[in-house]
Amino acid sequence: MGEEELGPLPAGRHGFSREQVAHNQRERLIAGLATAVAEHGYNAVTITDITKAAAVSRRVFYENFEGKEECFLAAFDVVVAHIHELVAEAVELGPDWPHQALAAAREVLAFLSSEPDLARLCLVESQSAGPAAAKRFRDAVGELVPPLEQGREERSAERPLPPHTEESTIGALVSLAGRKVAAGEAARLEDLLPDVTQFILSPYLGPDEAERLAREPV
Amino acid sequence: MSRTAAAADQRRRILEATADLVAEQGYQGATIETIVRRAKVGYATFYKNFEDKQQCYLELLDAAYGVTFHRVQRAYDREQEWPDKVAAGLGALFENIVAHPNIGRACLVEALTAGPEAVARHEELLKQFRPLLKPGRELNPRRAELPDTLEDTLTGGVLWVINQRLIGEETKALRSLLPETIEFVLRPYVGEQVAAREAELAASN
Repeated sequence: MGEEELGPLPAGRHGFSREQVAHNQRERLIAGLATAVAEHGYNAVTITDITKAAAVSRRVFYENFEGKEECFLAAFDVVVAHIHELVAEAVELGPDWPHQALAAAREVLAFLSSEPDLARLCLVESQSAGPAAAKRFRDAVGELVPPLEQGREERSAERPLPPHTEESTIGALVSLAGRKVAAGEAARLEDLLPDVTQFILSPYLGPDEAERLAREPV
Repeated sequence: MSRTAAAADQRRRILEATADLVAEQGYQGATIETIVRRAKVGYATFYKNFEDKQQCYLELLDAAYGVTFHRVQRAYDREQEWPDKVAAGLGALFENIVAHPNIGRACLVEALTAGPEAVARHEELLKQFRPLLKPGRELNPRRAELPDTLEDTLTGGVLWVINQRLIGEETKALRSLLPETIEFVLRPYVGEQVAAREAELAASN
């Protein structure tokens, strides 16, 4: 019998439905994994470390996940979905492409700075958590290429930019951010904002306009 | 073969086997057992040369970066103008990776999975490329505004392009990506026109 067919729990002390409890436990496990991985690294982390950090039982862990890789991938997906949401929101709300790109960079860096454990999980640990995680990481980065490509419309030069410009640009920033996080400087990622915006905008707007926008107050 | 030559040969075989196995099975998957078998040496020989797998891997990193960096530097030094130097250096780097994809994979892709010491060593080794790029700042009239992180960012971009081709097992594609990678690296220093001209030059070679 599936979980959802059981219906709500008898109204007990907590007053949550069984589904709500299960959902909550899954979220706690995901948060617990992020904490435990930040402390021990993906390869050394154990299920016990994760369940301890999440304050749930091993049984609950195995009800939700087959093992640590599946739990890691779930956590990774949550972080990436949030980053993609931040980018989509910036694109939707920005008055023009340069401000959309600027806002996207600002929001993503602010998020990663405020959540160093998640930044580490997403940018560093995903590389050592097996081939599935490494592939998801590459795909997640690849999804940032199309919104950046929109910047080509802004160019005044007749000659088109080389085809892989966006891949190199995003890759450069992801690699820079990953190395900062690996060096224990995740909380200072936000300091990179002016450099990052200038770097992102220059190929499309030219260095002068990129520099002006990078210094524009929010 | 003299005794010292035989010992050096064994050491080289161990490092080569480590590169191959780490490339094939990842750092975590490679074991000392499979390394000694592939290198056709005994356990005692392994432990005479290295403390453990990690130390062996760190020495592989040092050796591979040393050789690669030397080739890049030589190509760079042969040219007169800075944009030509960078183009030649990148060309040498890409050719070296195309010629030794397993070493590239083991040292670039897998470095981040091999524990904190390897991550730190890799980061240190990457910094060697900074002094090759920095002179480009002098060519930029707006050099005061160039971000401090520019060299690290560009190194990261090149590393990303290489890693993606190594992971996708399409290392030879690096050759066709060389002109635009040259443009990518030069643009922030010398502007789009000069960078594009250098890219065209590389494409016609």
